[in-house]
Amino acid sequence: MPSYTLGETFELVREVDRYRPIYYAGASGDFNPIHIDPEVGRQAGLGGSILQGLCTLGWAVDCFARYLGDPGAVTKVHARFSRPVALEDTLTFKGVVTAVDGKQLKATVSAENQRGEEVLKDVGLEGRPPSSGAR
Amino acid sequence: MGVNISFVGRRWGPFHYTVGLEKLREYLAAISGGAPNLGLSGLPDDVHPVLHDEAAAARGPYKSVIGFPTFCVTFAMAPFGAAMLDPALGVDLLRLVHGEQDFEFLEVLRPGDVLTTHGELTEVSQRGRHEVLAVRTESVNQHGKVAVRGLFTAIIRG
Repeated sequence: MPSYTLGETFELVREVDRYRPIYYAGASGDFNPIHIDPEVGRQAGLGGSILQGLCTLGWAVDCFARYLGDPGAVTKVHARFSRPVALEDTLTFKGVVTAVDGKQLKATVSAENQRGEEVLKDVGLEGRPPSSGAR
Repeated sequence: MGVNISFVGRRWGPFHYTVGLEKLREYLAAISGGAPNLGLSGLPDDVHPVLHDEAAAARGPYKSVIGFPTFCVTFAMAPFGAAMLDPALGVDLLRLVHGEQDFEFLEVLRPGDVLTTHGELTEVSQRGRHEVLAVRTESVNQHGKVAVRGLFTAIIRG
């Protein structure tokens, strides 16, 4: 059984390759044109296509799920989208465990692009130790 | 000109969605640095087997492949999308950005699960120059259990 410790940290790095918003659109169904058509992104004042916020959020969840060792053990997430994520950005997610007891873990995760700018704010995650069995 | 506050309480749904194994794998590929169009050849090595490998997952605590938690967007987002496209609300999609997101994952998602989602507009407010719209969603599985609760917050840039 893995142990989880208050203050423990974890990290995930993700590259936004040029086709990521299109792959994510296909997988998620979010085909908002600002994600798949650079011209529409420019018209919207975003300088081109931007990644779906929910993809960035998914990466924050993945960062925590990998730490837990069980993707089914994540129970809650909150995040605020503070800055658009552009093609060819590199995002670094850094998590820290903020509460832990026998039944529940809480963590916060920061998400920054290659310029150190926060793309998510107020990220809060909750989960349970995977050893407590299946839901 | 913004969205009329009288639309608070407006509901969208039901939206029905049946979870499919290949769709779970496609979502996993897209979120893990792979490519859904290439099928499993696009799935990176470091993803958890419970998310794609039927034999390995059958031996695990869930007895089945399960969905990556945010796979729920494929169905939970339907009322939010319907709200943003509802001519009555008249949202300008070019000014729309996703402001905040909350999810509660209450039940894991397995292939064959049938989710029924409803959503309700719970907030219309001003935040500086911008307008804030929030849609709260609830997705119930075929066992009558709430599987996912979502809160989708949109910012209409002023």
